[in-house]
This record gives sequence, structure tokens and C-alpha cells, in this order.
Amino acid sequence: MQVVFGVQKIFNLACGSFYALGAYVGVSAVGWYAAAGGPPALFIVPLALAGLAVGAVGVVIERGLLSFVYERDETFQLLLTFAVVLMMEDAIRLTWGTAPRSTAGLYLAYGQTQLLGATVPVYNLVVIAASLAIALAIGWLLTRTTFGRIVRATADNREMAAALGVDLRRVYAKVFTLGTALGTLGGALVIPATAAMSEMGIELIVEAFAVVVIGGLGSMRGAFVGALVVGILRSFAISIYPELEMLLIYLIVIAVLVLRPRGLFGGAGV
Amino acid sequence: MTGPLVVAAAVVAIALAPLVASTYHVLLMLPFMAYAVVLLGLNLLLGYAGLVSFGHALFIGIGAYTGAFLTSHFKIRSLEVILIAAAALGALVAAPVGALCVRYVKIYFGMLTLAFGMVFYTFVLKFYRLTGGDEGTPFLRPSLLGRSLEAMPKTDYLVGPYYYYSLGVVVVATLCMWRIVHSPFGLCLKTIRDNPAKAETLGIGVTRFRFHAFVISAVYAAVGGALLGPPIGNVDPTLAYWTHSGNIVFMTLLGGFTSFFGPVVGAFVFIYLQNWVMSVVPYWRLIFGAILAAIVIFAPGGLLGLVRPGRAAVRAAGRRGAGAPPAESRP
Amino acid sequence: MRHPSQATPEPLRAHGTRYNNPRYNRRQFLGLTGAAAASAALRFDAAPALAQAEPVKLGVLAIRAGIAAPVGAAGLRATEWWAERVNKSGGILGRPVQLVVEEESNPKDTVERYRKLVLQDKVEAVLGGISTGVTLALGPVAEDLATPWLSWDGTTQKGVEETMPNPKWAFKSVDNEVEAIVAGILTPKYFKGIKTVAGIGNDYSYGHDCWESYQAVLKRYVPDVKFVLELFPKLGVTDFTSHIAAIQQSKADMLMCSFWSGDATIIMKQAAAVGLFKTMKGVFTTAGGVHDSLKKEFTPEGLLLGYNTMYFDDPKGSPLLKQFVREYKAKHNEYPPYECDHAFFNAESYKAAVEKAARSGRQWPEKAAVAKALEGIEVESLSGRRSWREDHVQMCNFYQGITTHKNSYDFVTISPVEVVSTKQAMKPAGAKLFDWINGWKI
Repeated sequence: MQVVFGVQKIFNLACGSFYALGAYVGVSAVGWYAAAGGPPALFIVPLALAGLAVGAVGVVIERGLLSFVYERDETFQLLLTFAVVLMMEDAIRLTWGTAPRSTAGLYLAYGQTQLLGATVPVYNLVVIAASLAIALAIGWLLTRTTFGRIVRATADNREMAAALGVDLRRVYAKVFTLGTALGTLGGALVIPATAAMSEMGIELIVEAFAVVVIGGLGSMRGAFVGALVVGILRSFAISIYPELEMLLIYLIVIAVLVLRPRGLFGGAGV
Repeated sequence: MTGPLVVAAAVVAIALAPLVASTYHVLLMLPFMAYAVVLLGLNLLLGYAGLVSFGHALFIGIGAYTGAFLTSHFKIRSLEVILIAAAALGALVAAPVGALCVRYVKIYFGMLTLAFGMVFYTFVLKFYRLTGGDEGTPFLRPSLLGRSLEAMPKTDYLVGPYYYYSLGVVVVATLCMWRIVHSPFGLCLKTIRDNPAKAETLGIGVTRFRFHAFVISAVYAAVGGALLGPPIGNVDPTLAYWTHSGNIVFMTLLGGFTSFFGPVVGAFVFIYLQNWVMSVVPYWRLIFGAILAAIVIFAPGGLLGLVRPGRAAVRAAGRRGAGAPPAESRP
Repeated sequence: MRHPSQATPEPLRAHGTRYNNPRYNRRQFLGLTGAAAASAALRFDAAPALAQAEPVKLGVLAIRAGIAAPVGAAGLRATEWWAERVNKSGGILGRPVQLVVEEESNPKDTVERYRKLVLQDKVEAVLGGISTGVTLALGPVAEDLATPWLSWDGTTQKGVEETMPNPKWAFKSVDNEVEAIVAGILTPKYFKGIKTVAGIGNDYSYGHDCWESYQAVLKRYVPDVKFVLELFPKLGVTDFTSHIAAIQQSKADMLMCSFWSGDATIIMKQAAAVGLFKTMKGVFTTAGGVHDSLKKEFTPEGLLLGYNTMYFDDPKGSPLLKQFVREYKAKHNEYPPYECDHAFFNAESYKAAVEKAARSGRQWPEKAAVAKALEGIEVESLSGRRSWREDHVQMCNFYQGITTHKNSYDFVTISPVEVVSTKQAMKPAGAKLFDWINGWKI
């Protein structure tokens, strides 16, 4: 999501829908995998693959919808992604029905471990490791490769990049697909610990929005800090004064937007 | 100029509708008229000031809860008092919110309004002892012009006196808004929308004008929200949820925000289309999403833009520039 | 505000019949308001006059999206199964049943859908209604439109206070808090020596009502019990890691949880991940709503689990229940949850009431006669005999029990099965809930 906004300046309301889609596909993939008799220890492989593969819908949505409105005000892009939210919710219901989908015992397939006196499922650690790896990979992609340089150049100044011969359309398509795949992969990876529900997309948007705003639009580092801030605030609020949990997050969002509209880690210029 | 004739004909048609249309369709006109008021205000921001609010459900919520509180907790039934109180509260809340929001444009403005909307939503949901939480608060039948009308069956009340009362409010709201957008104030807003830098050099206080537009639109949304309450009879937090904000922006876009009456037409089409599609297929969100996408891509001027393509195209080109580089924004 | 000159009230006219317009007028109206309305015109068809052999139209309101969508789907499926069954055996008084299904969503839209069913589709009765927020709004509308409304699972009480004590047309669900009361009665029987209790429920009326009544009941049985923590996450949250950490820190002897949707599955999973129920007892008042997703891998034995009003695997279940479970599984590949029973009971009691009201002749009875006949009627539902109390509240049995892995499914079931009637666990008509609980002789 951060990648997408940074480059294309699209605020994607549909990121939550991609996340939900990834979760559902993940459940199905693991279901097939188990039916086919694959070893349980490797279930994360089909899970991740499915998550990545379904990221391909990103291409369809980018080519089929968003590419029409790049020249217009961001508001239109926002509305278009709102349309995607509406459509995806029903598309998911058409495909998977309304009942929450859940994987059986995979969450504990890797066992549990003791960490700082608390019992932690190993799977959580695997996911944390995977997220860090992905973040590092994206960081490497953006800063050390030719593709990354083109992407960053486009983000800084799209007219200049275009003048230098960068094919903007291809960059946009690749970046949006990458962003989508990250969203679906995230959804797939989290599924063993939870259950897929059709409204999880709409629920997630608001939280993702908070994370991104707190961290600063278009800043990778910011996204991590934002996620951390939201996570810590929530557990803090839950143990101190549960009534405030969500309210607190929005108030922080407003405070950040008012005081530092570019977020805690946003760059100086637009 | 056929414009005034068409408008007059529409008002007459709405006034006559209860005589010819089925009761149910007459009842559907009530939310339409309430949304018409909301959207007249929203379009001052969107169409004339170039600011997209994703949190206007906040003010609809304030209007609706004002009516619910006055009728349920304070035994005040007069709709006149309710509407005035809703307008006043709307303005009161809009003042600080607006003061913060209008310093930003484009996506930041949209996100800030969304955040404020969600703060209000969370507030009414969480403080259930005060607001009834998800159960909401009953909006008891208001009296109209001092007449209690309690003895009437609710449906007769809604399609009779309440219907014409709503129509009256819509007409008054329309006339006021027409005056506003055709006043020097409205012209300044348009200048700001098309070229803020130029407006500043001309001595127009950009932030101040945006702030006034924001407050006016909030007042309209609150009045519309108060009108929305009585047909439902119970006011609940979903009225303030962000998807409701999304829906009213959808309506505006559907009708076309480039013209004065576009959003009103959008509300009408949205309500009747939703009514129809919901009955025919369970997956109406899919269809509505597709319609929204199609409008955004192919008809940014909305339905009225399709009717008047020439004018809309010019305006649409101008719209692009809502705060964008000036080079593109002058038609 | 300027006075609109048109605001003179219309003369009162009879319901439903007055605005049936001839085609000519309709076209004129459309012409005036613009072609945009053309799409809406498709729904303008006036209902033809009903003859005896005409199908009897019944409106159904079912939630289709969001967290309660599975519940709505279950109710709708059971209603459809009922309609097929009735139509196979000759309909109601010889008239086949035709269902008109509309979506239950937020209160505003659902009130509009309800009006459409009655005014436009001219249904004989409306079945359904689940969310409390929606049904609180629907109640007065149902009374106004003078058509029987039988609610699956939606009460019209606010908190624990009844806001519509004497309805004529609205037939309401069991009170929200009954399953918490049942669980409160059963807790001391199965979990001896409980001193401290933590509670978690969704942050809305149902969650709060359940928790408050559960505390009141448990206090009667275990006077020195302490309630050490209460958590109310928002409906739809999918991560309870922080909540579970707080529950662990509270060191309570037992957790009471009133989740009923996918979040029950999720909290069970995430609790298993940190071994919460190795040290703590657990009461899940309503998780039976998603019973077949409570897989054995993460749902321990020994929890108290509530199935609301129907337990699909009831060893004492009737042939009707067994047939229903079999066919439901065959068609939808799921095991039916309790909402099926509410929906079936509503539809079946409507049929019985029509037949009772018509007993004198074969004439189709007036709506008012049907509503009157519904009061106190008793029919055979999926879960057994069920009835409407005289004040329009459902009476039924509640099924709860201790989770076990000894079954042929991949999810938990309960054994032994405790059956508690609403006669024991629901406040009588007109009573104040907490006065009533505190007046129990124990």
C-alpha cells in the first residue's frame, strides 16, 4: 500500500479488500493442499504462493479501471477504489459464501515456544520473520535495482521521468501489482491465526489508513512505525481503558494529520 | 433559458406525486428529499470549492441524533425547533473541524474528514449509555408547525403532511443555496477552486472562504440528517459510518457535481435504482460498484453531464484542476 | 423556516388501496420527473387481486452481508426448506407459498425494504429480522402497517427494557440475554470453586446485556464471586492477541465469552495458541452459532458451550430435525445452526395460525385474525415443541453442554446436553429483569 501511494499518489481504499481476498484464497489453497496430502509442515508454501498469485488481480484492476483516471484528480481514484471495495465484497461472497472460513490446526503446526515468559506460537514468529524479509526485499528493490530507481524517480517527478523515456504505464502497472500482491500475501499469511470473513476488508481499511497516516504517506519506514504505534496503542488501551481503544487511534490520526500532515516520517516536499 | 421551467415542473411533479404514485414510492421520496438537502450542501464543497469530504455522514449523524435526543429525552417535538437546533449544532461542530480541515486540500482534506467522521461514529457507538450504542435512539414523530398529528397512522403522516413539509424544506434550502452560489461568495469559491494562487493575489482569503463553505455544507447535512430521521423512527450509528459518507459522494458523482441540480438528480436515481436492484439481485453491491466505476471512468460529469455533454466536458476539464497544477485547470 | 403552503394534511383514507394508480397517471408522473426514473418503473406493477388459488406471498428479511450474513443465510435456507415442504404437501389452505426475499442491512434501508414488502409486494406477513438495532426500528413500522411480522432473532427491547410492551402485529424473539442466564445457571453446576471471572463480549447491546445478566445470575449462586475484567472489542475485530494477553494477566479462574460469529472461532484459535484454557475454565454462551468451525485442533474439551435453541446432534432429536440436518448437510455442506430453528418456527407457526383462524370456514382469514391466532399458538419446530407467549415473545428450549471430542466430526460437540426452557430462564411478561433474577429462590 505504501509503495502504491508513494509512486502513483493513489490512496487505495481497496487494500483491505485485497487483504480479504488473499485470506480467502489462502484458506482454499491450504484446503486443497491438505486434500492432496502434502506434508503439514510445508503448508506455508502453498499459502504464500496462493497469496502472491492472486495478487495478479492487481493487474486487472489497474489496467481495467485505474489506468483511465491517472490524469484526473486523486478524488476520482479514491472513488474508483471505493467502487472496487463494493464489488470485491460481493465477489467474495459469490465465490466463498457468507460463512467465515478457517483453517483447522495449522496455526499450531509449528508448535509453541516460550518467549519472555509468555507462550507464543512459532507460526507468529515465522510470519514476523517473513514480514521483515519482505520489507528488506522491498527496500532492496527500491534502492538498489534499476527498477527501484525508476520507481523512485517517477514518484519524485513523473513528468521528468516521462521526459527521460520512462514508460509510466508499465511502471504504474508493475507497482500497483506489487502493492496488491503484498496485500493478498498479507491476508494469506495471517489466515492460520484467524478466520476469513467477508467484511474483514472494510474493517481493515480504517486501521490501515491509521497506520499509513501516522507513519507518513509513501514512507516505508513510516509504515512500520505506524503499525507499531497502532499495535502498542491498542494493547495499551485494552489493558488501561478499553472504551478508548478505537477512539484513541483516530484522535492520534487527527493529531498527526494536523500537526505533521506528511506523517512522522514523511518527506519534506510533495 | 429552460432551466427554471424544468425545476418548477419537477417541484410540481413532486408535489403531485402522492396523488398518483403508489404509497411505497411516495415514501421513498422522503429519504430522497432529505438527501437532496444534504447534497446541495455537499456540492458547495465538492462542485464549487473543489473539496471532497469523506466524512459528511458525521453531520448527517449530528442532525439525526439532535432530532432523536430532542424528541426522546427532552420532549421537544416541534420539527421547526429540531431543524434549527440541528443546523446550529452542525455549525458548532463544523467550526472546529472545518478550521482544521480546510487548511488542507485534496486527499489530505478527504482523509481528515474521514477521520473526524470515524471519531464521531466511534463516539456514538461506544458511549451507549448516552446514545444507545448500536441500538440507537428513537426519533419520535415530530409535530409540524405546532400541530401534533399524533392521531394519524404513521404512513398517512409520512406521505401527507410530512411529505409536503420536507418538500418545503427542500425548496427553501434550494433557494438559499442558489443565492449562495450566485453571490460574490460563490464566485470567489469557484475562483479558489480553479486557481487558489490567483485567488490569493486577488485578495481572496482562501482558507476563510473554504471554512465558510465547509460550515454551510455541514449545516445543510445536519438539516438533511434531521429530515432523514422521522421516516426511520430510530437513529443509529450506521448513519455516521464512513460508507454512508461514501454513498453520498457517490450520489453527487452519479448526478454530476458540475451542475447545481446534478447531486439532487443523483440522489433520486441512486435511491430508486438501489430499491430496484436490491429486489432483483442479492448482489447489488457488485452492480453498484460497477456503476460507480463506469461513471468515474466514462462520465465524470455524471448523468446531467451526459445530458449536456458540451458544457460538462468544459467543466470536467476545469474540475481536474481542483487544487492541481494551474496549467491544466483553465479551460 | 418558511411555511410550505402545501402542508395541509391529506384527508385520511383506508390503508394500502388509495394510491393504486392507473397506468396513464404513472406515465405522466415519470415524464415530469425525468427519464432517470425509468428504471424504477419496472417495479410499479400493481398487485393483481388475490384469488383463492393465488400463491400466498410471505416477505423474508435476511441479512446478506457483513458479520451476521451466515446467520441470515441459515434462516433463509430453513425458510426455503420449509416452503418447499409446505408446497409439496398442498400449501396453506390450498395456496402455495411464495417467498419474497429482501435484504436486512442497516435500520434505514431495512425499514424501506419492509415498507416495500407490505405496500408494494402486498405480502401477507413478514418473516425475519435479526439485528437488534434494525428490529427496534422495525417494530413501530410493523405496527403501523398492520401486517404480522414474525421476527427470527430480533427483539424490540432496548437493553433489557421492553420498549413495545403491547404489540398487536409484531412477534418478537427470545430476549437477548436468555442464553447468558442459562449459562449462569449451569456454570456453578459444572465449574465448582470459581472465585474470579473475566468477561469478553462484542461492544454492542447483545454483548453488554449478556455480560450484565450473566453476572447477576452467577452472583445468586456464588455470592462471593468477583468479576475481575471486562472487555468489549468492536464487532468484526479479527485479532484478539491483546485481549487474550489482558485475560491472562487477570489470572481469572474462568472466562465468559458471548461471541457468536467468526470471532468466536478466532478467539478460540488464538487462545489455544497461548494455552489459555489449560489454566482457565471457559463459558461460551453463544459460540454454537458457528459450531462447525470450532475444530478439535484448537477447541479443548471441558468448555461450557451454548447452542441457543437448536442442537443439530441432539440424541433426543425428532425425526424432523434429523431429516433437516441430513438435507441441509447434503445441500449446503454445513451443519445447521440455531437460526434455522427460529426461522422454521416462525414460518410454521404462521401456517398454523392461518389454519386455526380459518377453522370455521375455508375462507382465507384476515391479517388481524391471523395475528390473534398466533398468540399462544404451539407448533412442532425443528428443535421440538415451540410456542408464542401471549405477549408475542418466542418460547423455546436452550441447549448448552460441555464440549467433547468424542464424535465423528472434525469439530467439537457437547455431552452431556443440558436443556433449559425459557419458562425458567426468561423474565416473565412485564417483569423487570434484575428484580426478577434477584427474586429467585435458590
